[in-house]
Parts: sequence; C-alpha cells; structure tokens
Amino acid sequence: MEERRFEKAAACLRFESELEAFLEGESRPFITAHAQDCPFCHVLRSDLEQIRQAAQDLPQEEPSPVVWANLHARLEAEGAFRPHVSGWRGMLAWRFLPHPVPVGVLAGLVIMASVLTVPPRNPQHWDVLNPAGSSTAKVTASVTPVGEDGALEQLVGELESNFRANDASLAPDLKATYEKSLVSLDDSIRECRDSLRQEPGNTLAHDYLLTAYTRKAEILSSALEFEGR
Amino acid sequence: MVSATTVWAGGEGRVEKIYYTTREPRISLTNLKGQILVRAWDKAQVHIVYTLGSPRMEVDTEVLPDTGAAEKIHFITHLLDPTVAGDDQTADYTLDVPAGASLEIRNPQGKARVVGMQADAAIDSVGGNIVVSDYTGHLSVRSVGGDIEITHPSGQVDAYTITGNLRFVSPSTTRLRGSTTSGNILFEGDFMDRGDYFLSAYSGNVDVVCPASASYELSAITKRGKVINTLPIKTRRQSASPADSNSLLGTHNTGKATVELKTYSGTIRIRPQY
Repeated sequence: MEERRFEKAAACLRFESELEAFLEGESRPFITAHAQDCPFCHVLRSDLEQIRQAAQDLPQEEPSPVVWANLHARLEAEGAFRPHVSGWRGMLAWRFLPHPVPVGVLAGLVIMASVLTVPPRNPQHWDVLNPAGSSTAKVTASVTPVGEDGALEQLVGELESNFRANDASLAPDLKATYEKSLVSLDDSIRECRDSLRQEPGNTLAHDYLLTAYTRKAEILSSALEFEGR
Repeated sequence: MVSATTVWAGGEGRVEKIYYTTREPRISLTNLKGQILVRAWDKAQVHIVYTLGSPRMEVDTEVLPDTGAAEKIHFITHLLDPTVAGDDQTADYTLDVPAGASLEIRNPQGKARVVGMQADAAIDSVGGNIVVSDYTGHLSVRSVGGDIEITHPSGQVDAYTITGNLRFVSPSTTRLRGSTTSGNILFEGDFMDRGDYFLSAYSGNVDVVCPASASYELSAITKRGKVINTLPIKTRRQSASPADSNSLLGTHNTGKATVELKTYSGTIRIRPQY
C-alpha cells in the first residue's frame, strides 16, 4: 500500500511539475502517458484544459460554473487529491496530516490559481479581457478572483483560521518563521489589492496577487502539518 | 516490508548504518531539526550516520522491499516524548547515497546540503537554509524563511522562498524558475541555448551577472523599482509591459535563451561577468 502511494506520489509530482509547460504548448509525452494511467491526473488535465479553453473563449467572463462545480466536487472528495500535494507532503501526508480539509482547500486553490494565471501570460490577451471602454469594475471581477466572490480570499481565510486556532502548539522558532513569512505575504497582498483598486489593468499586480495567495495557502498548509504534533 | 527502528544508543546518540540498495533507490528523510548532508557516491549503498540530541527521540527506518537490494528507504525522526523541545529535538544526519538516488528531504529547522546527485529531488525547509551543488536531476527546492543556494545545476530547477534569498551559481540547466517574496535573487552564470529562465521577487531585487557572450531574449519588468542594464541590448517595442512600469524588453546577442525577470518594487540589475 505504501509502495503504491510512493510511486503514485512520485509520478503525480512529475505530472504536476510538467503540466504547466504542457498547457503552454511544450511537448511533454509524460503528461499524456501518465494521464492515461492515473484517473485523477486524467481528470485534472481534462478539467484544466476545459477551464483554459473556457478562459480563452471569451467574452465569457468566468469559466462555466459547471466546470468549477465539477472541479470542486472532485477536489473535495476525501483523499482524492491528497497524493497531489507537492513533494514530500504528498508522499508523507498519510502519516502526518491532521488537517486533510485545509490541504484539500490548498489543492483547489493552487489549481485555481494556476489556471487563472496561465492565460494572462500574454498581456495582449488582457486586451481581450479588458476591451477599450469596458468598465474597470467588470475587468476586476473577471480577472481578479478577489472581487465580488472573493473565492481566493475565502479559501486562504479558511486556512488562516485553522492556523490561528492552533498556532500555540507550534515550536516558537517555527512559529516565528511562519509569522514573518505571513507578514511578508500579507504586505504584498495588501499592496497589490490597493494597486488593483487604483489601476484595475495592472497585470503585474494581478500576477503577484495570485502568486501571493497561492504561496500563503501553501505556507499555511505547511504550518498546519506541524500544529498539534 | 521491513520496518526497523533504531533508537538512541550509546552515550553520544550516534548511529551508523549501511543499507544495500539498487543504483537508483528512492530515499526520503523527514527530520525535525538539525543539519543534513547528503553526498553522492558510486556505491549501490546508503551509508547513514546520525546523531540524536536526546534519548527521547528515535529514527524509524523503512526499507522496501524486504529482501534484496533496497529500492526505497524512508528515514523519519520523531519524538518519543512530545514534551521534548528546543535543541533536544535535534538530529544531525550525514548520508552517502548512490548518485542515481531520488531524494525527498524535509528538514523544517536546520540546514540541508546536497552534493553531486543525478536524479530528482524535493527538498523542503521552514526556517533552514538549503544548499545544493552539482545536481543533474530535477530539483524542487523550497524554504519558507531560509536562503537557497544552488550551484552548478544542470537539470530543471524550481526554487522558492518567502523571506529568504535565492542564489544561482553557474547553472547549466535549460529550465530554471526561482521566486521569493521579500528576499533578493542573484543569478551568476551563463544562459543555455533555448533555455528558459524565470526569476521573480516581490519587494526584493533581482541581480543577473552573466558573461558578455551570453545570448538571450530579455523581459525585465518592475513596477516601482528600476531596471539597470549595463549589457548592450537591442530593445523592442514595450507594448507588452504594464502601463507605468519600468521595463526592458530586447535581445542580447542572438537571443537564444529566454530570460524573464520580474519584481514589483525592487530593482533589476543586469551586468556583465568578468
């Protein structure tokens, strides 16, 4: 059982690492081969391609709610993506993770953020998202998932609540390191959000905001693994 | 499956063991606190020496399969007494492993150093520094608050830290990605033909020192900082950069590699290596 998990985690880790390049058009035979062997990665790839296609087929402002619903449902299936938490976390999660739900939220967040960050690589694509004369509020809502729905913010907030509820159990030096990193990330989030309010078309701020949320989720998830141990 | 537990033994808590392995085993090491050194050697063996800081700790070892050469070995440090704290949680490891071994190393507090490996590796820390040198496999390296230094990598490199610094020295890899939030990034070396390099800081600086003979297409963008380039570059239109940003897009020599440098409020410097 453990051996199977190890191999799965290793293959899925490689899948994760190559997926972005594959979605950007690079030749990655392993992605195709592994997706045929691994049901989860097959579904993941299919969903990402669907979402990416949906994002490209604008004027649709967001991927279809059905796609999101399917993605969320799969991610929230207990254990379904646990091996896909990157690196050693995935491999050892079954031993150590006392907080599977936050990790699930993390996986969803990472996937969401990665999907959202793939198309905007080419700033000209943003011109499609932000046609001349369109309202800035609309642009913010369509490209920055911290607008009205606040999906990213909500997900990270959930992780942070879990972290705060148990952070007293962390070793002092670990806690200090996490706190310092969270301060750094929160500063960047606040600054990027302020920038986006003043300048909704600021693609750099948007990219950094998504990265900061993703990193924050990863850091919180990492910290939750230590709490209570 | 063999599951062996080696406990604190002897007055100084030092344990030394050898495991016979394949040429390409998978080795995982999960520690709590301490120094880790992993070195490649040409033997199909894992030689491990560790020192435990307290008799209230132990190292679990799992070896797979249970007969013949080991294909996988997991080392896990854990506390027998949850009240153990501070330096008593320390376990220092030195491993000599087959150069073809893939690695999963987790060392939340303390330095991890890996030398001369050839297969894939994932190395994680919370507050510790990570130093990797002469690595030819795919490297995935993360430290929340520690610095990361990677010297002479030739496989794919993915490295990130939040408050730590990143330093890449003489890479010969064609795919390198490094990011930090509040730390600085220093890249010293050449860019490979058709290589893809992405370096991103948020408030930190990004410094690139490369030979004048390097050939790359450059995209350097900062929102609130400056781009300072002292290498000749043939600039191209800048419509792709965000409004009001400071950016430099262009080609140095024939543009064989792709180099993307970003920082939000830091400064980007590109200068020649002498």
